[in-house]
Amino acid sequence: MYLQLMGLSKSYNNTMAVEDLHLELEKGELLSILGPSGCGKTTTLRMVGGFIPADSGKVILEGRDISLIPPNLRPTATVFQSYALFPHMNVIQNVCYGLKFQKRGKKEMLAQGEEMLEMVGLKHYRNKPVNQLSGGEQQRVALARAMVMNPKVLLLDEPLSNLDAKLRQKMRKEIRDIQKELGITTVYVTHDQEEALSISDHIAVMNHGRLEQVGTPKTVYDSPASRFVAEFIGRINFLAGKGEQISAVRPERITLSEVSGSLPGIIAQKQFTGAYTTYFVRVNDRTVEVDVPSLADREWNPDDAVYLSY
Amino acid sequence: MNSGRHGMGNKLKKGVPFKGTSFSDLLAGLIYVLIAASVLVFILWPSIAIMVKSVYYDGQFTLAEYIKLFTQNKQLLLNSIFVSVFSTVLAVVIGLFIALFVSHSQNRGKRLTFAVLLLTMISPPFVSALSYIMLFGRRGIITYHLLGLTINPYGWHGVVIMQALGHASLAALIILGVLRGIDKSLEQASLDLGADSLRTLLKITIPLAKPGIIAAALIAFIQSLADFGTPAIIGGNFSVLATEAYMNVIGLYNLPRAAAMGTLLMIPALLMFIIYRRTVENSEYFSLRVSTESPLKLSRGVNYSLALVTASFILFQLIQYITILWGAFAKTWGVDFSFSLRHIQAVEASRLAAFGRSLEYALIAALVGTLLGMIIAYMVARKKFPGYRTLDFLVTLPYMIPGPFLGIAYVLAFHNKPLILTGTAFIVVANCIYRQLPISTRAGTAVLTQLNPETEYSARDLGASEITAFKDIILPSLKPAFLLGFVNTFTTTMTTIGAIIFLVVPGSEVATVQMFNAIKTGQIGVSAVLANMIILVTLLINLVFSYFILRSPRYGGREKREETYVPAIDGIK
Repeated sequence: MYLQLMGLSKSYNNTMAVEDLHLELEKGELLSILGPSGCGKTTTLRMVGGFIPADSGKVILEGRDISLIPPNLRPTATVFQSYALFPHMNVIQNVCYGLKFQKRGKKEMLAQGEEMLEMVGLKHYRNKPVNQLSGGEQQRVALARAMVMNPKVLLLDEPLSNLDAKLRQKMRKEIRDIQKELGITTVYVTHDQEEALSISDHIAVMNHGRLEQVGTPKTVYDSPASRFVAEFIGRINFLAGKGEQISAVRPERITLSEVSGSLPGIIAQKQFTGAYTTYFVRVNDRTVEVDVPSLADREWNPDDAVYLSY
Repeated sequence: MNSGRHGMGNKLKKGVPFKGTSFSDLLAGLIYVLIAASVLVFILWPSIAIMVKSVYYDGQFTLAEYIKLFTQNKQLLLNSIFVSVFSTVLAVVIGLFIALFVSHSQNRGKRLTFAVLLLTMISPPFVSALSYIMLFGRRGIITYHLLGLTINPYGWHGVVIMQALGHASLAALIILGVLRGIDKSLEQASLDLGADSLRTLLKITIPLAKPGIIAAALIAFIQSLADFGTPAIIGGNFSVLATEAYMNVIGLYNLPRAAAMGTLLMIPALLMFIIYRRTVENSEYFSLRVSTESPLKLSRGVNYSLALVTASFILFQLIQYITILWGAFAKTWGVDFSFSLRHIQAVEASRLAAFGRSLEYALIAALVGTLLGMIIAYMVARKKFPGYRTLDFLVTLPYMIPGPFLGIAYVLAFHNKPLILTGTAFIVVANCIYRQLPISTRAGTAVLTQLNPETEYSARDLGASEITAFKDIILPSLKPAFLLGFVNTFTTTMTTIGAIIFLVVPGSEVATVQMFNAIKTGQIGVSAVLANMIILVTLLINLVFSYFILRSPRYGGREKREETYVPAIDGIK
């Protein structure tokens, strides 16, 4: 394994922020740590980056324990949620800042910085003050500044949370493209399940400082290991099945019919969202969400009686 | 991945030692320890020394000095409190009017007012006392020449008025700082709910400005209490604690008495400070960010009243400066107003030497003191190692200690082994540095709490050591705070007298002490020349320094600079 987190724990004032966390990454892999705020995901990232010392546990990189190496000597690079660009420097000064400490020639430094700026599509902004850039551009500078260090592990802390929805999707793709092209091992912290599903090789879901499940996006979505994971990732209905059994069913796995099905219900409300329409169907005392592709032949309206199949 | 290109990876392979053992981190630790130790030596130790001296001398513990003060010298205490309360109330009221004018009025005079406020911050002490004598004295241009009166101007009236006018600028600047931070939508909401502009001002704006008003009152009060220049010059037979403490050190060399007076001066100041903490720290209804919306539009009547008070204030200040300037060139003030250069010629070598000494002390104190303040701000706001709260408190202490107290305290703390420093230039500079430390540190912490810690993490992450990150990231962001600290420390060192008059020895006086002696011996012309020199040089250096610091256009717009302006606060003026 390329990067291993072995039993990391951290507590603040007797509250466990992270508890006995084990994670492993292959070289070149992108792993997302997904969870609600306060679940310990950022603390985990800070421990990998060396900003917060772990109470116990180890960070192993290429078989070597790096737990005690200070952040300035640790071969990791972080893109912070706030971007943390240096406000008094321009774009290229920001990007080349870390190269100074590697004792390179000035020309070589600039060449590397420019190469990286080109990669993120900001070469023409080379001399612009960073506070004159848009959010997306600042994000790219932060990314370039971390990538130019050629880190062994790239750490991204909710990198897209300050961007609007459209830009978030665009940057998501760009980050993934660059990450794949350079084959850089990456830990990606996010609370956005859609983001995690779309960008990751593996997802680690955390809650209350504990790891709930690790797996490929498909596994985590299709076979959630716990109720928490099922509810946190995507939407889910809990339906009373045969006998005592309760089955968890995603909205898109249910079909509606007016003639036959396993459960009868009444349409309470419908929401058109573009690609599909979500129906809220009252079944006994609960409401079940059902996604029906908007292109389907049949449309229902509130108060229609339907049957649900899954 | 080509790991040969990887700088940090290479370092790693060379076997970089474990955490905290690098040379630069050790150096950083050493710097922190030294700075914390210096705070103990130059703030805590003198404060203890003066209190001890007031109750323990001639080898025994006694409260004799305090008993004497409360029986024989009761009038002194009452005088001090009376003058301070009276002048504080006046100063805050005038300051509030001016601040409201600058923040709310649509008049064009706002910029001029702001400029005059800043200008008055750099006047040396006794400028007001000196001009008071020149305007209202026995041969004063207003009382004698214009009105034909021969009155005795000396007494508490003049002291109260001149202190109030002197402290009004500072009060106005402090209140203005808070007014600017008030969310303008609150005023709009009040109008929307049916209140007129006067009601909104009284019920919303002024209550919201309470933290600023209280802070202004606190500072004006401590300054009045500590001011010995004004009562010494225009008080006549009216004495206060601060003037008597001076007499006891310089004239009678009664150190226990002076120590007891200094300690007493501290008690009301400390009480005020506690009240301030209680009231202000519980109020969280103002933010530091400046709202861009336009302020409440005031009705005509309100607008005119604010403008009237402000205009009178500015007029008075201008008259004061013109008088001083005129006085430098008038042959004999009060008798012969014809143009003459004789006072300028009278400024001989020894006075120039004192002036040079002032400049030298002020530059050193400003550079060293400000850097110290920035590092302490970093230690308090970022490092938060054990004891940082104590450090924060100790650094704030000089803020509430009246000037003479700290002056006398230094005399008592540093005239014995192992730290014999009295009579040296070092002790004068150290006193100026540590007295202004609260301002520099506060300015620094204000900036640092706004700066996202991720920015430093990021520099560390990219390979910077702790010291490098401080130099590359923290210091440049601290520019506005550095400027403020420098301007404040430089200006106060150039213009202060309250504390250092106890520390300078004959033969190595500074400009303000020379000026004080000139006024006391009735050399009005020479005093006026010295006052003008101090004002001009202080102004010039501050402008030059500001220019160099703010020259880089990238960081901080104009608004930002104005916003971070916390006015210079001198213990005594």
